[in-house]
Amino acid sequence: MSENISRRDFLKLATVGAATTAVLTGCGPASRYIKREPYMEMPEYTYNGLSTYYATTCRECAAGCGLIVRTMQGRAIKVEGNSNNPVNLGKTCARGQATLHGLYNPDRVQGPLKRTRGTPFDLRTNVSVTWDEAVQVVADAINNNNPSEVAFLLGMAPDHLFDLVSDLANAIGAPAPIRYGALSMFEARATLIKASENLFGTAALPFFDIANSDLVLSFGANFLETWLSPVAYTRGFAKMRRGNPKRRGHFIQFESRISQTAAKADEWIPIRPGTESLVAAAIGRLVAEAKGGAVSEVFANVDLNEVLSSADIKLETLEHVAEMVGEAESAIVIPGGSALGLSNGLQTAETILTLNALADNFGKPGGVYLSPFLPNQDTYHRPASAQEMAEFIEKMKSGDVKVLFVHGVNPLFELPESLGFADALGSVQEVISFAVFPDETALASDYIFPDHHGLESWGYQRVATGTEQSVLSGAQPVVSPNYDTRATADVLLAASQALPFKDEMEFLQSKFASLVGQADDSFSAPEINTFTAYFQQHGGWWKKSSELVSPSATDTLGRNFAVEQAEFAGEGEFFFLPFVSPTLGEAGANKPWLQELPDPTTTVMWNTWVEMNPETAHELHIENDDVVKIISEAGEVEAPVYLYPAIRPDTIAMPFGQGHTAYGRYAAGRGANPAKLLGQHFNEAGDLAFAGMRVRIEKIEGKKQMLSRLESRIGVYNEGLEEH
Amino acid sequence: MGIDLNLVGAKGAIAEEAEGKWGMVIDQDLCTGCQACVAACAMENNLSFVGEEDAGYGRTQHWIRIERFWEGAYPEVKATAFQPMLCQQCGHAPCEPVCPVFATPHSPAQEINLQVYNRCVGTRYCANNCPYQVRSFNWRDYHLEPFHANNVDGQLVYPLHNQFNPDVTVRRRGVMEKCTFCIQRIHQAEDKAKSEGREVHDGEFTTACAQACPANAITFGRMDDHESLVSQLAHQDRGIKHLEELNTLPRITYLKEG
Repeated sequence: MSENISRRDFLKLATVGAATTAVLTGCGPASRYIKREPYMEMPEYTYNGLSTYYATTCRECAAGCGLIVRTMQGRAIKVEGNSNNPVNLGKTCARGQATLHGLYNPDRVQGPLKRTRGTPFDLRTNVSVTWDEAVQVVADAINNNNPSEVAFLLGMAPDHLFDLVSDLANAIGAPAPIRYGALSMFEARATLIKASENLFGTAALPFFDIANSDLVLSFGANFLETWLSPVAYTRGFAKMRRGNPKRRGHFIQFESRISQTAAKADEWIPIRPGTESLVAAAIGRLVAEAKGGAVSEVFANVDLNEVLSSADIKLETLEHVAEMVGEAESAIVIPGGSALGLSNGLQTAETILTLNALADNFGKPGGVYLSPFLPNQDTYHRPASAQEMAEFIEKMKSGDVKVLFVHGVNPLFELPESLGFADALGSVQEVISFAVFPDETALASDYIFPDHHGLESWGYQRVATGTEQSVLSGAQPVVSPNYDTRATADVLLAASQALPFKDEMEFLQSKFASLVGQADDSFSAPEINTFTAYFQQHGGWWKKSSELVSPSATDTLGRNFAVEQAEFAGEGEFFFLPFVSPTLGEAGANKPWLQELPDPTTTVMWNTWVEMNPETAHELHIENDDVVKIISEAGEVEAPVYLYPAIRPDTIAMPFGQGHTAYGRYAAGRGANPAKLLGQHFNEAGDLAFAGMRVRIEKIEGKKQMLSRLESRIGVYNEGLEEH
Repeated sequence: MGIDLNLVGAKGAIAEEAEGKWGMVIDQDLCTGCQACVAACAMENNLSFVGEEDAGYGRTQHWIRIERFWEGAYPEVKATAFQPMLCQQCGHAPCEPVCPVFATPHSPAQEINLQVYNRCVGTRYCANNCPYQVRSFNWRDYHLEPFHANNVDGQLVYPLHNQFNPDVTVRRRGVMEKCTFCIQRIHQAEDKAKSEGREVHDGEFTTACAQACPANAITFGRMDDHESLVSQLAHQDRGIKHLEELNTLPRITYLKEG
């Protein structure tokens, strides 16, 4: 803008700016950050009073939704969905909306720190170091140790940092980085992939095309909450319900409690936990018998009467479901986390996928596909299963890990305590955390070298599933870093000379190289710098047309395997069902507005509760808000009871997401963590049998904790009515 | 429209006509209760979070909330369709006539129900008279509580304030507030349309809740344009209005489940 600008001209310009609100990119790699400038020297594309919009990627979970962030004078104001990104098509979930409460969280780590392990987080008592010293510490850690004794533990998202650390580990001869997240444990992702490998010969994530199906059977799949790619599956659900004017899709959920997803089901069938595979096989048998012809052995071996008694289900119900499956044009059956996180989880997943084979929907609209890979990728690197984490923890305990780098994951909170991560940390000489927030693991580290928040960072994220085409969701900073943080990629590149890149951007461009000039892209760019600019502007790169892979299933119905009931660990009168809080997810507890969102089914805010059937509670003389102790073979936790009318009398359920001892002022000391109750039991695919625990409860006499709920207490189970 | 809703006796006859300018349709068959609209509203409109204790007293500042009710007892229990509840922008708003200071007038231009924060003296009569229970009161200066601040060289610094939307007033203690149909977005679209010498098109902009909704359950637009999506949806067989019998003329149509 020229210096001699009249007020009238300025107003004209401002109007033009308002009329052409465009998504701006930065100016390529040369100017890497948008600075927070005084009004006097604003960048030319920023007008006072007008917003600038940047396309980036949501980092709140690993789904990889595209965002457009509205900024004003260097501040991020509002998150919107990127309507071009195939994952979310302009929509966001609550966690995505609240990502700004992470960016501007008062409890961020504000600079590199040297710490004494286990001391409270306090900027005054922790020793600040300079970034030069920090880089030197990382360099020493990488170079002065045997590479086999250096370990990298990363978050669940398959992002650019995972690629960089993989390349780095490969170059220096260190073991490949491990990715982990509590969500992958509760989704039993490893089991889903293993089942896909056993049936289709490809270790890929299945894609369930519920949008085009007219009957959805879900065994505990919480696809409207946190499962795999919730925004994409919610869109699919909406299309299933109302997308076709000729029919309204029917949805049946088998689950021992009404979850948020089950609340949207037309029929909720509360089968006994652990009998999912039996019920699926029984439905298969009835469907196959009704069709006529040979019944495949895996279904034929099921004793219907046994299923009825063990699953606590009526024959009419089973026959009704089977009839619906037989009549549906395109029925689909989805295996969810709580059905797979059992001792027989792999068998359950295979039975359910076989039921899809009976519905003959592989590779057909409304059926099961495999998620596509990116053109520069040949396999899906899944996050570690709990068993692989247990093996890694053993390695730490034996002293074979001298240096541990942790980024994007909080294993002290997200792993069941029984796996012993806390003890194992004691055997690691040096723990270096790149945490954005002072979480439990960061506080147990020797150094915190904070990365930028996701909205201050460059990068990309592979979209593992949820879309029909391959997607590389792109990230760029929407604001300049608020604090003295530094991109972990830059720190690693500066510390180690093993990779030939000057900085993060050079590394990113090296990964883009194979995508330049591909056909059928979301944009076409002749060379790398243009590609990078378009990549920022569009918020990523993706193919235009569907690339879903039809599973190569041969003789799926001919396979035979034993279908049995799951075994439960421990003793007690209750089945225990932990589920991921739909609003908090695994890492939302430090965002105050997420804390104040009512849980969709109980309307509880800011705390943890135990869901118990009112009849059961009545027998045990337990009322709302009575605190009980839940005891499993692995541990015990205390939490107040919520009388939940929609849960089996033999089951109690608890949300995962609270119970932090650190992680900032909004999370610490609030609620309880059900992961403390989970023992070391794995299924055949290595996933934790988290839904396979039995627990007992003890009422703590005289102890009450009033839960804050949105719903009124008046009239709920006659509470508060006796006075009137 | 030009109908003076304050005319005595005009009510029944004009109910059909008085659909208002801006309207919303919420499809309860699609709403998954995910709370994305609640979070989006909070971020757009600078809503305060009040903390666990005040939330327990029912003092939350939710301009939109998701209601769910239970029907029956186990095992025949059912959750009713999730029901997003927000200010219905009534044509005959019960909150309006009870305000002693005219802080909640009806806007002739936008045909919605306004809340003028700097007129409000906090009698809370309006909240008392609202049959939908969608008004929330600022019992404290929630956003200024020192708990949220960091002490930087003796000064309280509130990092969360960086997120505030400059187009929306930050309310202080003692003031009533409620959903405004994102009036700042309406104004922005109107200004832009005016500068281009035209009317605001349907679908040119939308409210924060409708924009976020992953299931596309919320549709916002011009009710006075009978070709608009929102108007078409509102006239489906499934459409109902809440507490219609009170003759509040709500501007929000709910589409029933099934």
